[in-house]
Amino acid sequence: MESLPRLGYGLGLRPIYYDEILSTRPPVDWFEIISENYMIPGGRPVAMLERFRADYPIVMHGVSMSLASTDALDLDYLKALKALAERIEPAWVSDHLAWTGVHGCNLHDLLPIPYTREALDHVVERISRVQDILKRRLVVENASTYVAFSQSEMPEWEFVAQMAERADCLLLLDVNNVFVSGFNHSFDTSAFIDAVPAARVAQFHMAGHTDCQTHRIDTHDQPICEEVWTLYERARRRFGDVSAMIERDDNFPPFAELLAELQRMRDIDAAIAANASRSAA
Amino acid sequence: MKLSELQALFQSAVLNGDAEDAAILDVIAPSHSADGATLMGVYVNAYRLRLSEFLDEDYPALRVLLGDDDFEALVEAYIDASPSRLRNARWYSTRLPEFMQKSESWGDNALAIGLAVFERALTDAYDAADAPALSIETLAEFSPQDWPRLGFTFHPSLRLIEVAAGTLDAYAAASAEEEEETLSPPEEDENTYEQQGSDETNREACETAPSQATDIEIVAVWRSELDPAYRELDPDEYLALNEAIAGHSFGDICQLVAFQNEGQPPAERLAQFLVTWFSEGLVIGVAETS
Repeated sequence: MESLPRLGYGLGLRPIYYDEILSTRPPVDWFEIISENYMIPGGRPVAMLERFRADYPIVMHGVSMSLASTDALDLDYLKALKALAERIEPAWVSDHLAWTGVHGCNLHDLLPIPYTREALDHVVERISRVQDILKRRLVVENASTYVAFSQSEMPEWEFVAQMAERADCLLLLDVNNVFVSGFNHSFDTSAFIDAVPAARVAQFHMAGHTDCQTHRIDTHDQPICEEVWTLYERARRRFGDVSAMIERDDNFPPFAELLAELQRMRDIDAAIAANASRSAA
Repeated sequence: MKLSELQALFQSAVLNGDAEDAAILDVIAPSHSADGATLMGVYVNAYRLRLSEFLDEDYPALRVLLGDDDFEALVEAYIDASPSRLRNARWYSTRLPEFMQKSESWGDNALAIGLAVFERALTDAYDAADAPALSIETLAEFSPQDWPRLGFTFHPSLRLIEVAAGTLDAYAAASAEEEEETLSPPEEDENTYEQQGSDETNREACETAPSQATDIEIVAVWRSELDPAYRELDPDEYLALNEAIAGHSFGDICQLVAFQNEGQPPAERLAQFLVTWFSEGLVIGVAETS
């Protein structure tokens, strides 16, 4: 399996931080964009993206591929996505294990699926077709979910592992999503981390979420919580030096706070590496 | 239950705003701490909230003009009538002006519709296709005797819109009020009351506007460099620009302007327009027409 580049520590590229990034050149190794925000004819978003692309590696992260939908694949969308990828030359392209609508509708959300053999066959076939169309290996992310379905035949991590092997795709492990879904569905998050095939994990997502007491919602509008940092450490120990980034999409803090979270990520990784060296010695 | 059936059920509950839909709750696995309706509600609420945010972002001045309550009623009605069928949320709010025009509740509010049309044009200009603008020096490449046959191509972002008289003033007032609200956090009661008073004033202006809007104003909207720009047009410039966009030559447009305007010599008047169009970055191509 070809390996994707190790990009280091990245952030989501959001317009509110454009000026600060351009003027201060902060210690961020790469940026992830929401693909759809740049799948437009032209203007400021596209011009700004090209400026950032000149200085930083970019990863394209989509929210509309609707990989698990039973509607036909949207070939116009994939054509536009491919055109953007050819223009930006991202390190990779990712989207979610989710669906966004059926019957031509789009609910603009990442919707849950039952973990059945039927759904697995369906998703595997769709990922394979997308990879053929895009002419690149897709990186697929586990989504946060708030409901689970009685008809599921396997745990999410088994579904994800089989999907990756059968579709020959790569995985974006969203550590926060594992935590949120684990809380909402009372599963052991360590089991998820331990079951995912290590060789296929190309990227980590980290983010904050909202604690509604009875459930957690993946809002990307809070600092990363301690439980997610703990799970990150476990993921890092298992998956090693994969590219990692932090998503922040609302309640935007001063940019320095995001840089501090990135630094915490670096510090955890450095401590893990130091421990590993001591153990080896 | 097949995956397609499950997805249809799930979507139906979300579109209907029904987190207690019995059919979908029947297939949701029990949760340790929250009931199925609460968890399904996360998706139901997120759907309406997300679409509302798209409309909020694209029509900030319309919100100020209508006031929060009326704007939110409009948004709710639009969401109910217009499930998104777009892969990219960027265009979800595009049809709001047409929805208002056809609506019993908003169809006679010419000023609000005008403002919606105008804000829509600004949003469209923002991310319209790119094209390098030409400078006026381009004309030097053509001899004066060729000028009557020259035709022009315009920036892809350029739109000419007809809106109710007073739309641009309403936009300026709403933008100023919006800026004031941004600068004055509403934590203090005094500020809150001031904003409510302003909202009331705007609603009154809005309600009385249709009877006053006996005329229209014509506005050119485009993108200058990376930012949307706009300018009200006089009727003769509107005519000339419309004809130029349609591909008519300089000579043909001169004749039309002469017909409309018996004062200034038409070629001179049109030359003034051209200088303005070039200086504003509107012209991206000049060529002899056949």
